[in-house]
Amino acid sequence: MTIVSEIIEMASGEAGQQGGAVSEAARQELEGLLVLMLSDCDDISGGVISASDGHAIAERLQSGLDKHRFAAMSSALLALSDNVARETHDGGVKNVLIQSDSGNVLILHAGNQRLLTVFCRANANLGMSLSHASKCAAEIAELNLNMDT
Amino acid sequence: MFQNGEKIIFSGPVGAGKTSAIAAISDEPPVRTDVATSGNEAAIKDTTTVAMDYSYIQLEDGKRVHLYGTPGQERFNFMWRILSRGGLGLVLLINNDHPDPLGQLDYYLDAFADFINETGVVVGITRMGVEDKASIADYQQRLFDRGQIFPVFEVDGRSSEDVRILVNALLAVLEN
Repeated sequence: MTIVSEIIEMASGEAGQQGGAVSEAARQELEGLLVLMLSDCDDISGGVISASDGHAIAERLQSGLDKHRFAAMSSALLALSDNVARETHDGGVKNVLIQSDSGNVLILHAGNQRLLTVFCRANANLGMSLSHASKCAAEIAELNLNMDT
Repeated sequence: MFQNGEKIIFSGPVGAGKTSAIAAISDEPPVRTDVATSGNEAAIKDTTTVAMDYSYIQLEDGKRVHLYGTPGQERFNFMWRILSRGGLGLVLLINNDHPDPLGQLDYYLDAFADFINETGVVVGITRMGVEDKASIADYQQRLFDRGQIFPVFEVDGRSSEDVRILVNALLAVLEN
């Protein structure tokens, strides 16, 4: 099977969605950052780290949530938000905030190649959640930098 | 036939040329959401669309048709539904150098079956002559076997003229 066909198979099937180009060691390190964020902040109930193109890499999620779908949706939302910010203020997006009836979801860039999706509990303190999510995103970005060099 | 401000959806597999096609016929630079690919996908493409492409064209009668391009990968199939809502019809692009382009034709026709039933579709075969896996007749036969008769064109997705032929064909299909 050629590389191209493997990729198309991967693109059109649910198989092979195990996030792009990350070693198991790196994945565990990234997951460790999510664990740390969750233990530091009671307002946060889960998180997913994805590649910018919507592949899930690491997650701490309550059962029933599909990391692959959240990774893809987060990547789409963040990419569109980047466009809106660029076309209105010629600036970058710090975060995307979804305020729903039953809790907030935050999506943040975590360096150039990654993004972080954070799920907050109902009645969570937004400032507190955002602060911990931002810290985690910065740590992910730093880890990526170290992996690249 | 349709109100000002209708929209057409471009879909199809990764690498079929959806983003290029919309850019080719747009009056203005499209809204693009391509980001760097990761993992295996990085081997075939540097970037991929993760939300949508958007632009519009002005028809000769002054009407504006909005163009929405979907991401190709199934993991973004939620965008297929979001973008198709209220659409006039589908331009389906299939790259003929895919290992199984007829399978891809089946896959996307099935995925968009409800939308196609309510509206219409034209099929554009791109990347003909690169590493051909099927002929136009093969595509027509496959459609015939499915009991569906849709226009099939060989197109260069980067050619404004070719993409306009697809769009005009779709509008003609929808008039009938």
